[in-house]
Amino acid sequence: MTQFITAVLTSLSSGAIYALMSIALVLVWRSTRVINFAQAGQAVLTTYIGYDLVQKTGSYWIALAGAVISGAIIGAVIDRFFMRPIFKRVKTGPIVMIAPVVATLGLLGIIQGLIGFKWGLTSQSIEAPVSTDGFKVMGTVIAFSRFNLLVLVFVSFAMLLLTLLFQRTNIGLALRASAYSPEIARLSGIKVDTVRTLGWAIAGASGGLAGMLYIPGYFLYPNAMDLLLVFGFVAAVIGGLESLFGAVAGAMILGFSINFATTYISGKLFFPTAFIVLVLVLLVKPAGLFGSKKSRGA
Amino acid sequence: MLKGTQSKKRLVLFIAFGWALLILSNQVGDLKLYQGSFVATYALAITSIILLTGYSGQLSLGHSALMAVGAYAGALSIFNAGLNPIVSLIIAVLAAGIFGLILGVIAARLSGPYLAGTTLALAVSLPTLANQFSILGAEEGIVFDVGPAPARFGEDFSQYKWFFWISSLAALIMVWFIANLLSSRYGRTFKALRDNSIAAELSGINVGRVKVMAFALSSGVAGLSGALLVMLISGVSPSAFPLSLSFALLTGAVVTGLYNLKGVILGGLVLVAIPEIADSLVSRIGGSEGFTTTLPGFLVSALLILAVVFTPNGPGHLIKRKHHKQKVL
Amino acid sequence: MIRNKSMRRASLVSAIVATGAMVLSTLPAQAATPGVTATEIKLGISSPLTGSAGLSYGKVPGAMKAYFNYINANGGVYGRKITLISRDDKYLPTAAATQTTNLILKDNVFALVGALGTATHSKAYKAAALAKNNVPDLFINTGFSGFTDQTKYPTTFMVLPTYAMEAKVIAKAIKDNFAGQASFLIAQDDEFGTDGVAGFKTAGHTFTLAPILYPQGSMTSARAEAALTGLSAVPGKPVVVLFGTTDVTATILKAAEKLALTTKFTWYAGSVGADANTLLALGVKPTTVNGVISASFMPDAKDLTDPYVKQFADINTKYNKGITFDNYVLAAMNSAMLTVQALRAAGKDLTRAGIMSAIEAKGSTFASAGLVPLGYSATSRIGYNGYWVSQLNEKGEGKPYGGKLVIYTTDSGAGAVEVSTFVRPTMPKNGIPTNS
Repeated sequence: MTQFITAVLTSLSSGAIYALMSIALVLVWRSTRVINFAQAGQAVLTTYIGYDLVQKTGSYWIALAGAVISGAIIGAVIDRFFMRPIFKRVKTGPIVMIAPVVATLGLLGIIQGLIGFKWGLTSQSIEAPVSTDGFKVMGTVIAFSRFNLLVLVFVSFAMLLLTLLFQRTNIGLALRASAYSPEIARLSGIKVDTVRTLGWAIAGASGGLAGMLYIPGYFLYPNAMDLLLVFGFVAAVIGGLESLFGAVAGAMILGFSINFATTYISGKLFFPTAFIVLVLVLLVKPAGLFGSKKSRGA
Repeated sequence: MLKGTQSKKRLVLFIAFGWALLILSNQVGDLKLYQGSFVATYALAITSIILLTGYSGQLSLGHSALMAVGAYAGALSIFNAGLNPIVSLIIAVLAAGIFGLILGVIAARLSGPYLAGTTLALAVSLPTLANQFSILGAEEGIVFDVGPAPARFGEDFSQYKWFFWISSLAALIMVWFIANLLSSRYGRTFKALRDNSIAAELSGINVGRVKVMAFALSSGVAGLSGALLVMLISGVSPSAFPLSLSFALLTGAVVTGLYNLKGVILGGLVLVAIPEIADSLVSRIGGSEGFTTTLPGFLVSALLILAVVFTPNGPGHLIKRKHHKQKVL
Repeated sequence: MIRNKSMRRASLVSAIVATGAMVLSTLPAQAATPGVTATEIKLGISSPLTGSAGLSYGKVPGAMKAYFNYINANGGVYGRKITLISRDDKYLPTAAATQTTNLILKDNVFALVGALGTATHSKAYKAAALAKNNVPDLFINTGFSGFTDQTKYPTTFMVLPTYAMEAKVIAKAIKDNFAGQASFLIAQDDEFGTDGVAGFKTAGHTFTLAPILYPQGSMTSARAEAALTGLSAVPGKPVVVLFGTTDVTATILKAAEKLALTTKFTWYAGSVGADANTLLALGVKPTTVNGVISASFMPDAKDLTDPYVKQFADINTKYNKGITFDNYVLAAMNSAMLTVQALRAAGKDLTRAGIMSAIEAKGSTFASAGLVPLGYSATSRIGYNGYWVSQLNEKGEGKPYGGKLVIYTTDSGAGAVEVSTFVRPTMPKNGIPTNS
C-alpha cells in the first residue's frame, strides 16, 4: 500500500515538474507557433542568474523574482534579434516550422556554452526555500514535502493566471490572433511583431519560474534541463498544445505513466513509456487530448 | 523526352563525380579520407531528412533512431549471421525501411509538432532498448567489421581508403536513386503533398499512402547511413545515436537547403568541417581551460544560427536572389 | 533552366572548394617514431570535457597537464618535454572515434593516455586502428574488465581496478560486517551494472531482491523515492549498495533524507559514485554523508598527511590554478606520474613497442599513490587489482573502515579476495621519478 501511495505522490511531483516546462513550451507555441528548444537553455541560464542572486543576497525569493524577470528579458531579446529576422525571410513551406527549430537548437548550444564559460562546468545546487523533508502522516514519512507542495501550488497558479491572460484579456487575444493568423491580425491593427516578442517574454518568464522550482530538487549544470525539455515537449503534445490546462494534464499523465510503469513493471521502461503513451494518445486523438482538429498544421 | 535527357545527364554527372572521388582518394592522406567518409555518411543522412521533410513535408526529430535500426541490423547480420558486408548494408536499408513503414503508418495521421514530439520520444527511447537484449551487446555494443580491402588492391590500400570507397559509393548510389525518384512523378506527388495537402487530396492523391511511402523511403536511406556510420566507428553502441545527432542532421539539412538534394554534400561537409575548424581555431587562440573547452561548441552553434538566420532557405537561394537582381537590372 | 544550372554549379563549386581547402590545409608529417623528437614527447587524450560526463571527468586532462608541466620544469624525461594534447569527445562514441583518429593521424601523438568510457573507447580503439599502428593505450580511465582482453585490445593498459573486482571486495565487506542483514543493489544499467552484478555473483553473494537496474539518466528523485519506499519495508538495517555515478548517489541519498530513511539503511557507494566533495556540493547533508561506506584504492584527496597527496596538491596549486584539488585530480596526476615512469623505463631511445614492454617488465614496481599493488606483467594488463574499504565522515573525508587500513586484492574472475600485505613504494623525491 505504501508503494502505491508513494507512486501517486511522486507522480504528482514529477507531473508538476514536467508541467513547468510544458507550460512554457505551449506558451511559445500558442503565441508564436514555434517549438522553442532553447527553452531548456534559457531556463538554466535564468536559474544560474538566480543562483548568483542567492549567493549575493541569501534569499531564494529575491532570486526567484530575478530569474523570472531576467527570463522575460532574455525571451524578448531572443525573439527580437533571432526569431524576427528568420520570420522575415521564411514565409511558406515546411521550412517555416523547421527553421525556428534549428535556430532554437543553435541558441541552446550558444547559451550552454556561455553558461559553461561564465560559471564553469561543475555542478552547483540551490537550496529550496522550504523543507524538502517528507510530511509526516500518521507516523510514517510520505514521499511528499513542503517543497513538492510549493511546486504544485505554483504550477496551478501559473496555469490559471496565464489561462486568464490568454482567454480574458485583449493582450491574450492579440497573442492568439498573431500566432494563428498573422496577416489577418496585422490587418486588424495588431502590431504582430511586438505582440510576438511579448509572447516570448511571457514564456521566458515562465521558464525562469520553472528553473527555480526544478533545480532545488536536482542540481544545476549547463545541461540540467535537457531531459526536462524532452519530457516537457512530449507532455505538451499529449495535452494538445492548445491550452495550458492541456499542458498540465499531459504532464500529469506522463508523470503518472512513467512512475507507475517503472515502479510496477520495470525500471527499464523509463524512456520507452514516454513514447508508448504519446503514440497511444495520438492514435486516438491525433491533435492531442485537448487539441482540436482545426488547429493542426504547420 | 526531356525527362530522358535529364536522367541521363544526372547519371553521367554522378558517374563523373564518382570517378573524381576515386582519383582524389589516391591523392589525399588517411585523415582526409576518414573525414571524407563521414562527409559522405552525413550527406546521405541529410538526404533522408530532405526527402522526408523538404519533399513530403513531415518533420522528424527521430532520424537518429532510424539510423540506429539500420546500424544494429547491419551489425547483427555481419557479426551474428556472418553475412557479407554488402549484404549487411542492404539488410540495414530494408530493416530501417520496414521500421519506417510501420512508423509512417502511425505518423501519417500526425502533423507538425505532433509528429515532431512522437519522433523525439522515439529518438530518446529506442537506444535504451539496446541494453535490454544481451544480443545487442549493451554499451560495448556489436562490432561492425567490413574487413580489410580486397587483396588485389595491394598492401598499401589503407583501411580508411576502403571506408571512403564504401561510404562514397553507397552514398552516391543511394542519392542517385533518390534524385531520380524525386524528379519523377513520385517527386512531384511528394511536393504537391507538402505544399497543399488538401489540394493534393482533391486531385486524387492518396495522401496517407504517399506519406507512409515517403517515411519508409526516408527511413531506408537513414538506415543505410546509420550502418555506414557504425562501419566508420567499427561498432555500434546505443550512445552512438544520441538525440543530438537528430538535431545535427536537421541543422545540416536546413543550412544547405531543405528543398533539394543539390546541397547535401555541403551539408555533410558543414557537419564535419565546422567542429574541426572550431577545434583548430580554439587551439590556435589558446586561453583559459574553461574558454578552450566551451568555445568550440559555442562557435559551432553560433555559425549554425547565423546560417539559419541569414539563409534559412539554403545558400542556393542567396545565389538565386542575386541572379534575379542581376536579371532585373 | 539557367537558375537550376547556376545553383547546381554553385553547390558543386563550393563543395569542391571546401574539399580542396581541407586537402591542402594539412600535410601529414612522418617521424621515425611518431610523436617523439629530440625535445618533445606528444601524448594524446580523448575524454569528455563538456556534457554531463564532463562534470566529473572534465578535470582529468588539465590535472595531467599540470603534472607534466611540473616534470617539464624539472628536466622533462631525458630532456624531452611532455606535451599532452586533449580532445573533447563529449562521451559520444562517434566523437571518440574521430577525436582519437585525429590524435593519431593529425596530432601524431606517441601514445594515448587516460582514455575514458567503455562505449567510447571500444569504438575509438578500433576506429583509430590502435592495434594495427601499435599505439600504446596507457592507463585508461575505465574499470570495464573487457579491456584486459589482449586479443581485442593488444596495446591497452588498464589502471583502475575493474568493477568486478570492486564488487567482490564489497561482497566480502558485507559478509564480514553485515552478515545478518538484507542487502540490495541499485546499479546503472550498463557496463558498471553488468560487470558489478557479475562480480557479486562470482563472489557468491546473493542480494535479497533482484538488483534494481536503471538506464543511465533515468534515476530521478521520483524513481529513487519509489525504490527506497519499497526497500524500507524490509526489517532490520539492510545494506544498500549503489553502483552508479556520483549524481545518482546524491539523488538517492537526498531521497532518503526526504523520506527520513537515512539511518534505516547502511549505505555502500561504489567508488565511481562516492566522491564526497561532489556529494556535498550537490546538496547532500553532511550528516547523511557521514557513515557512507565506500571503497578506494587511493588515499583520500583530503588526507594531506599522505606524502603523495601533499605533493600532488602542491603541484595542483602551482600548475593548475583555479581548480580544486579532489579525488579526480589526484587520480589523474597519479596516472600522469605512472606515465612519466613508463616513459623513463622505456629508455632514451623511445619507441612504442619499447614503452609497452617496459610497463610489462617494470610496471608493477612503479611508484604511485595507490595503496594497492599494480598487476602489470608479461601476461597481464591489469593495473590496480584491489581496494581498501573506507568510510566517509561529515567533512567528506574517507577514512579506513573500522579504523585500520586493510588492503584486499583479487581478480575479475573466480579468484578469492585476499588480504594483502602490500606496502607501496616510497614516493620519489619531490614527486619527480628518477627510475629507468
